Amino acid sequence: MTARPLPFGDERHLLVHQWLVDEAYLLDAQDYAAWLDLMTDDVRYVMPVRVTTGRAAGFDSAPGMAHFDEDRYSLGRRVARFATEHAWTEDPPSRLRHFVTNVRTFATDSADELLAESAVLLFRSRGDVRESALLSAGRRDVLRRTAAGLRLAHRTITVDESVLRMQNLAVFL
Amino acid sequence: MDDPADLTTVLADVRRGMIPAHVYNDEEIFRLEAQRIFARSWVFLAHESEIPAPGDYVVRRILDDSFIVVRDEHGAVHALFNMCLHRGMQVCRAELGNASHFRCPYHGWSYRNDGRLVGLPFHREAYGGDAGFRRSDQRLLPAPALDTYNGLVFASLDPDAPPLREFLGDFVFYLDYYTRQSPSGIELRGPQRWRIKANWKIGAENFAGDMYHTPHTHTSVVEIGLFREPKAEKRKDGCTYWAGSGGGTTYKLPPGDLRERLRYVGYPDVMIDKMLREWSPAQRAVIGEDGFMVSAASVFPNLSFVHNWPKVGESDDVLPFISLRQWQPVGPDETEVLSWFAVDKEAPEEFKALSYKAYLMCFGSSGMFEQDDVENWVSLTSTAAGTMARRLLLNSRMGLLADDEPVVAPLEWSGAGTAYVGYGEYNQRALLARWADCLETPVRTPSAVGFGTGS
Repeated sequence: MTARPLPFGDERHLLVHQWLVDEAYLLDAQDYAAWLDLMTDDVRYVMPVRVTTGRAAGFDSAPGMAHFDEDRYSLGRRVARFATEHAWTEDPPSRLRHFVTNVRTFATDSADELLAESAVLLFRSRGDVRESALLSAGRRDVLRRTAAGLRLAHRTITVDESVLRMQNLAVFL
Repeated sequence: MDDPADLTTVLADVRRGMIPAHVYNDEEIFRLEAQRIFARSWVFLAHESEIPAPGDYVVRRILDDSFIVVRDEHGAVHALFNMCLHRGMQVCRAELGNASHFRCPYHGWSYRNDGRLVGLPFHREAYGGDAGFRRSDQRLLPAPALDTYNGLVFASLDPDAPPLREFLGDFVFYLDYYTRQSPSGIELRGPQRWRIKANWKIGAENFAGDMYHTPHTHTSVVEIGLFREPKAEKRKDGCTYWAGSGGGTTYKLPPGDLRERLRYVGYPDVMIDKMLREWSPAQRAVIGEDGFMVSAASVFPNLSFVHNWPKVGESDDVLPFISLRQWQPVGPDETEVLSWFAVDKEAPEEFKALSYKAYLMCFGSSGMFEQDDVENWVSLTSTAAGTMARRLLLNSRMGLLADDEPVVAPLEWSGAGTAYVGYGEYNQRALLARWADCLETPVRTPSAVGFGTGS
């Protein structure tokens, strides 16, 4: 990112920061129906697979492969599945905490869109004595102004592990 | 398992379909598996499409052994033990890339991408040249046996392993459905890799033959309308088959001829035309006449496949995807899953894009099927660790009567091996029978090799 981020006091930054914190609340509460309402109809939600490569290789994600590569339809199916009574992996539910920090907001060429960078650390605990799991990632979001408020149009999740130490991604970041 | 009588009892129980629960989380069993299964069997490493160009490499493991699977400048594929001949550093610390040489970061020994040692700093001053260390014709230790089928690269740590084709046996009849839909075969993307606190055998057994779990474990995926069939119970109309070193499950398709049935699961005519040319009359008859379509499958010990056809958008159209996955043992209670998306190389680009989307929704680290599977397997594994699990024999006799006769007669069809329609644990038993055969047979330890010195 070469452009300078908006000052922390800028109203647009405050708006974006609050949106990210409110979103984290919905994800922790697993209120996925409300979370899905925060997406635009043309949303793209992508989490590439990170790989270990030499510095000179020029890439550090697996070509053509992702953990998530979602549109509104597939996100909708995932959310609908959690709403059934038979999504065993989250029944009993995980205890989730999304820690969101390092938020930087950037203006874009479009007056209607803001770019947000953030870091997220997800703590996930399942059952009583199982080892908890952590997932650390950077996020790069395009947030679009709509009549109903900011909506997520694009998210790229840059996970910080090549091999995930989490049993599945029955969670969102 | 210090007491061989214990092992004898465990294997006898397994062979009659009564599985001592502790085999899913047992240090001693795992140690034996490492030696007697993974140091002997043909184990999947990579697909040739992952390393298409000279110098392309991926680094893959067989348990603790790291191999560089690399295509040399002449196009030949090697699996080189990733350990410098001098002080044992990994000469490659990336997961993939392209390299003409691998240079050890410790003392700078370097190896060409066919494994040959070409650089040895201060060879003359430090070793007195070839008189002290004969540099020519030294190479990184290759995997003792390496072979391919349809571009799938397998290695065995046993120099006396039977040929791969012999090891796979009649399973190749089914392997072609997944990996040879056109003369060009498949291309792989991925893998997604993640670690689960589950024993490696559970996934292999599940994919080999567990049609019985689908209606329950995967109810939610049917409920959200991801499939054309409204009922997961449809699975009982399919058959399971075991052939050679592997077995799998199928779905029963609605009436129609071969082309209609391939269209039913979402293949476009341009791909169907190639399948019709590529597959044998018997392979075509399994779909066209018998009406079965392959779904999940496993090859002993730890490679699995899946083929399914969900809806990928709001319309009712379905689209097929193929995944390869490996259950890489980490410990008795931990497995690394490597899950690849596979698609025919000659498939139209639009098909590839939608098939990839179908894969991501269903399987892999975020897949909606996989999520619920893993939850079950983690639960089983943690419960298998204790004293009570040593007293419980899990009943894995589904499909057998008390006198060991099958509940239904074997299916008469065009497919290879032995098949049965409906729910049964025939394949899980076949897989664990292979497991038992390996566990009771010690492996010959090959003599150690040294390099550079002496004659």
